Amino acid sequence: MQFFVGSDVGGTFTDLWVAADGGATRVFKTPTTPDVLGGVIEAVGLAARSFDLSFERFCAEIERFGHGTTVGLNALLTGNAAKTAILTTHGFGDTLEIGRLRRQTSGLNESEFTDPYLRNRNPPLVPRHLVIEIDERIDVNGRIVTPLDQAQARAALRGLAADGVEAIAICTLWATRNPAHENRLRELAREELPQAFVSVSHEISPAVGEYARMSTTAANAALGPLAGRYLASLERRLQDAGMRVPVMMMTCAGGVLPTSVLSDRPAYALFSGPAGGVIGSQATGAQIGLKNILTTDIGGTSFDVGVVVAGKPIMRSEIALAGADIRVLSIDVDSIGAGGGSIASAAFGELRVGPKSAGANPGPACYGRGGSEPTATDADLVLGVLDPDNFLGGRMKLDLGAARRAIETRIARPLGMSVVEAAWGIRQVLDSRMADLLRRMTIERGYDPRDFTLFANGGAGPSHAWVLSAELGLDGFVVPAAATAESAYGTGNADLGFTADRPAYVRVGVQTMPTAAQLGLVAAALQAASNEVAANLERAAPGVRARIECSLAIRFRGQAHHLDVPLESDVFDLTAFQAATRHFEQQYETLFGRGAAFTKAGYEIISVRAVGTAALPPPAQTAKGDKLVAAKSRPVVFDDPHAPLDTAIYLTMRPQAGATVDGPAIIEFPGQSVVVPPARRATADEFGNLHIGRRP
Amino acid sequence: MSDDRARDAVTFEVVRNRIVAIAEDMRIALQSVSGSPTVTEASDFFTGLFLPDGAVASMGFQVSFQAPVCGTVIRHINSKPSLAVREDDMFIGNDPYIGALHQNDVQMIGPIHAGGTIIAWAGVQAHQTDVGGMDFASWCPKARDVYQEGMRIPCVKLVDRGETREDVLEMILTASRLPDALGLDIRAFIATVNVARRRIADLVARYGVATVTGTMARMIESSETRMRARLRELPDGEIHVADFLEHDGHANRLYKIDVKLTKRGDKATLDFSGSSPQAPGFVNCTRAGLAGAVCGSVLTTLAHDILWNQGALAPFEIVAPDGLICTAKFPAPVGSATVEAVWVTANATMSALNRLLAASAKYRHRAQGISDGCMATFNLGGVNQYGEPFGLHLMDPIAGGGGAFASKDGSDAGGPITSPVSAIADVERNEQAAPLFYLYRRLARDTGGAGRFRGGVSGEVALTLGGIDRAEALIMTHGAEAPNSTGLSGGWPGATVRQALGRGAIENGRPRAGAWETFGPKPGLIPMTNRDIFAVTWQGGGGWGDPLDRDLDAVARDIAAGLVSPEAARSIYGAILANGRIDAAASEARRQNLRRERVGTPVVDATRFCRSTPFAALGEALFLVRDARGIHVVSKAGCILATGDTRWRRGANARTFDQPPPEYRITLHPELALTAYYCPATGTLLAIDVHRCDEIPDDDVVLDLTALAGEVVALPKDDKRMAVV
Repeated sequence: MQFFVGSDVGGTFTDLWVAADGGATRVFKTPTTPDVLGGVIEAVGLAARSFDLSFERFCAEIERFGHGTTVGLNALLTGNAAKTAILTTHGFGDTLEIGRLRRQTSGLNESEFTDPYLRNRNPPLVPRHLVIEIDERIDVNGRIVTPLDQAQARAALRGLAADGVEAIAICTLWATRNPAHENRLRELAREELPQAFVSVSHEISPAVGEYARMSTTAANAALGPLAGRYLASLERRLQDAGMRVPVMMMTCAGGVLPTSVLSDRPAYALFSGPAGGVIGSQATGAQIGLKNILTTDIGGTSFDVGVVVAGKPIMRSEIALAGADIRVLSIDVDSIGAGGGSIASAAFGELRVGPKSAGANPGPACYGRGGSEPTATDADLVLGVLDPDNFLGGRMKLDLGAARRAIETRIARPLGMSVVEAAWGIRQVLDSRMADLLRRMTIERGYDPRDFTLFANGGAGPSHAWVLSAELGLDGFVVPAAATAESAYGTGNADLGFTADRPAYVRVGVQTMPTAAQLGLVAAALQAASNEVAANLERAAPGVRARIECSLAIRFRGQAHHLDVPLESDVFDLTAFQAATRHFEQQYETLFGRGAAFTKAGYEIISVRAVGTAALPPPAQTAKGDKLVAAKSRPVVFDDPHAPLDTAIYLTMRPQAGATVDGPAIIEFPGQSVVVPPARRATADEFGNLHIGRRP
Repeated sequence: MSDDRARDAVTFEVVRNRIVAIAEDMRIALQSVSGSPTVTEASDFFTGLFLPDGAVASMGFQVSFQAPVCGTVIRHINSKPSLAVREDDMFIGNDPYIGALHQNDVQMIGPIHAGGTIIAWAGVQAHQTDVGGMDFASWCPKARDVYQEGMRIPCVKLVDRGETREDVLEMILTASRLPDALGLDIRAFIATVNVARRRIADLVARYGVATVTGTMARMIESSETRMRARLRELPDGEIHVADFLEHDGHANRLYKIDVKLTKRGDKATLDFSGSSPQAPGFVNCTRAGLAGAVCGSVLTTLAHDILWNQGALAPFEIVAPDGLICTAKFPAPVGSATVEAVWVTANATMSALNRLLAASAKYRHRAQGISDGCMATFNLGGVNQYGEPFGLHLMDPIAGGGGAFASKDGSDAGGPITSPVSAIADVERNEQAAPLFYLYRRLARDTGGAGRFRGGVSGEVALTLGGIDRAEALIMTHGAEAPNSTGLSGGWPGATVRQALGRGAIENGRPRAGAWETFGPKPGLIPMTNRDIFAVTWQGGGGWGDPLDRDLDAVARDIAAGLVSPEAARSIYGAILANGRIDAAASEARRQNLRRERVGTPVVDATRFCRSTPFAALGEALFLVRDARGIHVVSKAGCILATGDTRWRRGANARTFDQPPPEYRITLHPELALTAYYCPATGTLLAIDVHRCDEIPDDDVVLDLTALAGEVVALPKDDKRMAVV
């Protein structure tokens, strides 16, 4: 036997996806344990038992072990990361405290921005007394203005050693232009604190802008000891049992890397969970020939959207986390507070849904855990979308009476509606907020949503997708076979990937061309970035054939926002520059409309990027599923709250290839209910994905 | 019937969310295309959707002062038939005597048509660094009238049925010293209005005109309903406060913004009649600026959970005759209105509204001292390190201290609360984009207003030129001699602005002794070289409550974090350090001494006390009680300060300062004084008033006792102050 394994540790559940010889795939879920590791090992144990193998035997047969985890994220959010100190330039020790003022509103949701009382929720990543200012200064051109005071630095480091500091982040002004002082400080840190984990900013986040660079370096340092310990023990535990391959860790940018390559830059894996979900959808798209995908994930508290265009996820270079700007290249996953647990309320004759969520505890009223506020899940139950006796595969009974009571007292009576009307209204409001986010992620970026296929992931995704696709003018949607564990699936199906950025600031005025020196600066940066990528992919998989693509961050002179423009040629000369600016203007007008480009402004090149990928052999996958036979029927509300439709209910673990179901129908899986609306047909493919489209 | 009602409620909420999302889409479009750091970082801009009559229905969370501006321009167009409005037209304007706060704020508005009629307007506006005038950046300290302050565009059709009038655009750009930046932003405006039009068109196609316009109107009604409900929850009465600005560009004269807030039931009147007459210099604002200041204050202070639009403002009436500093008459100069008269009007208005919150049991925890009482200006112009003409409007000065709440400290370098999403750029970005070299950007110790809850400390910077030899700087502020960031309930104001220039104080990036000059509020235009250092510290936030009531552990944390010096801890907070730790016993003794020093011989006469259980409170230190003699205002100790009304100041011990002790870091203008009021029995600090030295401060809070005593308002159960009484 041979197993391809993908795993993802979420806040509540640890998911494991396994593809075995012959292509059969299975999904396993265990509760996430406080030590994280336990839940993963438990899930691997479940998988082994399901294949009638011992833990050791199963591990020995693992061909690939992909892994994603929020362990780093949680450690940072709960302040449980390593005791970290920062060394920085004299005069700038308050950089994290001031936080560009962005720290003030970070983490506020869309309805909280207007409330000054809620500001300043997140303390800086490192407390001020552990931020040490050192006499040194380098200017914008890389010139040393004030030499590094090494004696002062050494004394400060000794103090930190005595203080029990476990990690050190070094971030000085303009280190990206001249890293000499950061490099020397690292040497001193290693001499004085040989056990400490040390990160330098020009390596971890090589871009201009000290706040994000310092935050990212601090986060990286704070995670270093912890992530290293965790990944080493996971890998050791599996390899001791017989696994021959390394643990491949999902990065924010969507490629996987062996833990050995990631160990000095754990921040690159900070947002691996959401990235895994998008990569999973991308892999499913590749499997079935779809290149433009809107990946959606609806869980209990949030609605997450990623966009894949021409087979590549849309990226972002910065994410706000707990008040800090973390600058690592990441798959852009936007989210709003809208999910099954979103609370509905009525006041002043108006209905509001979310962003407040009942979470898992007390959860929706129908969970019977003391929740009295009506939620979207309660509405789904009242509308007939959910079966009170077959929720989570029957493992949890839902209390229909409690759901009705909550909606009756809190919504229906105050607004003068029937309970069903109120439930239908809750759904409408919630679904339309989700559709607004989908529009923002597409139309606002110059894309037509009708050129995309909607993928429905997460527990509640497949029951809302029919409304979302209709809102966007789509005929249907796809429910991936691993929709309830799409992030785990993604970690088991991702390619190797490594990305490197280098700042390269070139300013070109009106009607002028860059000088040879300016072109040389960009060319050198491109070379340095490509070399870093190639070296790391070679470390990850010796002898691997890597593909490296380069891009330029460019903007009109004076703007704050830039676009990433791909470079077509290997040499960066005047022709390449002109091609890049042409490409930039085209992309710009696509985004902001014809005539929006203001070429008279001139250009600024800010930085370069090299993205390296190397394919890993994908697992074979087929579905050996059940025929779909209607088990029963019940009335379900679709478009008219007064005329529920008699809807056939199908129960399955996995549908057989070619199986079809005509709407109105609900296909209940353990963990999700796929709603097929009237005039639509669901068809299962050979991999177990469900395609919902217009009925012929 | 029930079916229609259900569909109505649901459709309203669906379309409402969509309209809110469209205002946000407009923000994204503007920020993506704009070339102004004031837009992209500091968020000094506005996007919104308006009803045909100019009422704003939905707006972004940017500078809230700007909300009424575009609507005023729409009403101006409606009043001028000569401005024939056609489909796909767009109008540009910047005239402070029509709607703008000052000429730098350029606005563009476009009608949104459906079926041949105007169903709504999209409006956008952003601060432009230079729109001409006698001085760079269009802020002209020596201007005597508005003609000297740059071009005024009353309201001109820039886009005619979809076609940009390039000749008009050229005329506008020609008037600016920075035509490229202005050109980029005007293009951003066009893109932004187009985004709104497309989105509204989609919405109309889906739901029909009546639903879309009906929803916009109902959004406004809904906010009005909610604001009226909030006002009903607050006590009735009159609040009278003032704030000051010094120096009008020509002379260091003092100006007062005086506001009387009268709140009855679900209505409020804001009367500015007591304010100073208009100034001969650029610090004034027009009536448009007054409306903007009131709007920003009301929205941020009372509408934290209410959708920001016209409805939330409807219950507020503004009373102000023409010719005041906040209602300047044509052709008074108003170039720096936003950071002068508008800013100070907002301070005074927020100060009044927060006193109302402080007197409400339900909302007291949110009552807040003033944040960022000023925005000190540092502009720089010349030829930059790339050989291009440049103009810098430094945004760092918004990093002032946040006001303390009645329940927690203010934010350090918290920024202005009237523009919730503003940010400042990285030092590195500033050094790359402009010819600057920073020596530090840091938090400024001892600048937070002292109090039981401390106001946030401000930021401070020191910088010189980088990559060029010389440039012209414009340095101006108010608040160098007027403590604008006032506190509440005995909390002190935050430190005043300190700005200084060190001539020859730096050589090749290394500081050296130079000739330092500390400026007053408005040194104005100053030539600066790469051997000079400009150093500025902004205002800290206002405090809450008596500093001697501050938790000693909190003082210890402040000392450890470098936010409060050991000397200030000792003199202001009465906290004594011994071997690096707070000595609790010694500190308590010192606090007792300090309280005793405040009052001399304490009042002990039993008739001066009433120990009934309070039925309401005016904040931290003052309570309302009732006994056979009537209703009294008492201190925590039960000492009666007033009977029959809430004019309690006459019963307190007062001490007036011409200059407060230096550790408070507050400098007072020669015409200003500061009076502290103490409980005659215990010495507890009850209030701090900043006032003209030739005036006796009025009682700030005069509640309607009949209304209040009628319904006994209980204090929250966890309010520990009750135990003291």
